[in-house]
Amino acid sequence: MQKEYDVIIIGGGITGAATLRDCALRGLSSLLIERGDICDGASGRNHGLLHSGARYAVTDREGAEECIRENRILRRIASNCVEPTEGLFISLPEDGLDYQANFIQKCREAGIDAQAIDPAEALRMEPAINPRIIGAVKVPDAAVDPFRLVDANILDARRHGADILKFTAVTGLVKENGRVIGVRTSKGDVFRAREVVLAAGIWTAGLAREAGVNISMMPSKGSLIIFGHRVAGHVINRCRKPANADILVPGDVVSVLGTTSDKVPIETCDDMHATPQEVELLLREGEQLVPSLAHTRIIRAYAGVRPLVVADPAGDGRNVSRGIVLLDHETRDGVPGLITITGGKLTTARLMAEMATDLVCEKIGSKARCETAARHLPGSEGRKPRFIDPFNIRAAIGRHGEEVARMDFDNGGEIVCECEHVTRAEIAYAVKEFGVRNVSDLRRHTRIGMGTCQGSFCIKKVAEVLAGELGVDPEGLVHDYLQERWKGITPVLWGDTLREAEYMQKVNRNEI
Amino acid sequence: MKFDVIIIGGGWAGRSVADRLALAGMKVCIVSEGLSLAVAGNNAPYSHLAALQQRGVTVLRGDRAIKGIITGSKATGVITRNLGKDTVLKADVFVLATGKFFSRGLLSDMNHIWEPVFGADVSYDADRTKWADSEFFAHQPFMDFGVLTDEAGHVLAGGNSVVNLYAAGEILSAGSKEFDIDSFIEEYEHRIG
Repeated sequence: MQKEYDVIIIGGGITGAATLRDCALRGLSSLLIERGDICDGASGRNHGLLHSGARYAVTDREGAEECIRENRILRRIASNCVEPTEGLFISLPEDGLDYQANFIQKCREAGIDAQAIDPAEALRMEPAINPRIIGAVKVPDAAVDPFRLVDANILDARRHGADILKFTAVTGLVKENGRVIGVRTSKGDVFRAREVVLAAGIWTAGLAREAGVNISMMPSKGSLIIFGHRVAGHVINRCRKPANADILVPGDVVSVLGTTSDKVPIETCDDMHATPQEVELLLREGEQLVPSLAHTRIIRAYAGVRPLVVADPAGDGRNVSRGIVLLDHETRDGVPGLITITGGKLTTARLMAEMATDLVCEKIGSKARCETAARHLPGSEGRKPRFIDPFNIRAAIGRHGEEVARMDFDNGGEIVCECEHVTRAEIAYAVKEFGVRNVSDLRRHTRIGMGTCQGSFCIKKVAEVLAGELGVDPEGLVHDYLQERWKGITPVLWGDTLREAEYMQKVNRNEI
Repeated sequence: MKFDVIIIGGGWAGRSVADRLALAGMKVCIVSEGLSLAVAGNNAPYSHLAALQQRGVTVLRGDRAIKGIITGSKATGVITRNLGKDTVLKADVFVLATGKFFSRGLLSDMNHIWEPVFGADVSYDADRTKWADSEFFAHQPFMDFGVLTDEAGHVLAGGNSVVNLYAAGEILSAGSKEFDIDSFIEEYEHRIG
């Protein structure tokens, strides 16, 4: 007889990972099932922006308040994933200053510290921004590394007893007398649980349909561009009604510009990529924020899907919430045993998890209280690792914080990926902790190949090391990785990016 | 300074041309920036340049042709970054061997590709979305882009043949004609008797 879990969570993005952590900390026996790798959907394809809530202050007071509360919590519990860059909302002459006045007022009402600053002072702080600015407002936006944040949630959940099953798709929900009692997987297994939580982003609707539940979702595609440098130190926003390409986030060593927002057919969501037209739109708008983006080297373009829920399925799709959606399918659809948590934002995922877990606890009669806002995530415990801090592991400390204590630098201190300073020890750690299968998986957990050369120089070396760890053929690893990187390079193939693409091609076709 | 032939680009293509022409007794100059795909990880190209120098070739190391001058249907001179705009290097014949994108033989922006030294005509697809194949290991269309020549191998500029300007190596577009070293040497030997 299969073990029965208290809760099974479907989906290994930030929502699922945070829910798993919450359940595990409350002592529930929990299993997370993910069809691919952790953080392989929308959670790994966004701005990496820790919202202050300012962007929503005018249009969505509740969303803004959620953001600023969670922003403060994450700065504390996930300090190693958050870089407190702060943010600027700039006004151009065509935006006028009326919006700004209302914006500051609404921010303050939502509890967001918004300070108007002199345009000259803003230009002194950020010389790269458009010199035509007529106003600027400083807000507590920040940069967050979504890969690290998801990994940290997964690690904490597992260290509190949770099980994680990756590369396993849920093929069906098992029902008994109208109640969902478990799931069936692509590997032919059946797992039983008292409650099943759907946290699969845009893929939630398809899973719910399995249980005879209709959730009307609207996939909203967002495309983004990564530039090879940080052109500004703050998150730069446009102080106007939210629109395309009006946020530039300094993330790690790069700048991320986005996004577009377009309704797309649900069947395209498994293969998202930025189009050349979207790239042109992003650049045209982005240059209004920071003019030098016109000649800043572009590394790649990518796209993710926002899992928006249509509140009124009979409507025309305009009545769409960007807020948190928690569905109790027992009361909503007469299907007990099933809960959906979706919508929301990367910034508010912890809160989403708390709401979903509260409902799980209510259903199964647990009185355990949420502790996720008070407990630090792995890597962010706030104790500086005791290392002499040699050069080759400084980057690993930055990425993993206290987790570097689990890496064996004495036997694997050599650097494999030069751009991001990833050592063999860090690769071995990622294989052990996250069960990576290929270089793309490894990238999500270490930043390998995410740097300036996109793996052009190191991919063969990385593949050799990883193939050694996994006992597989390195050639196949190289092929898969290059094909995946190429998808993000082709939409931005001109100028320096084209130069490097020629090099990448030649090195990997053994023409040099 | 006046040469029989000035070769612009010190990669494998330019060095091969310089090698043959110097052996045939011509007065040759080669402009080598030292940023070649072939340079990665070994110093063979530098040894080759040293050998060329011993053979009498004028090697402009670490220099870059920034402007080629065309007068009528002929190339008449080249200006380099290091020698400055007051020094025009002259020659009877010029060979463009600056490679493709990586070596900056071809430059590009979002919608155009151009050859920066002589402003030679470049073949490329006007539709940027057709520059690459979505499969990494498929044949990549952008690797076929490059300067255009006439049937005799003269580089085209503004649609006209520049009768003493040739191209060698990767800067050429697919289907264009590589500088014919053999016939050039044959012609030279015939001329000097």
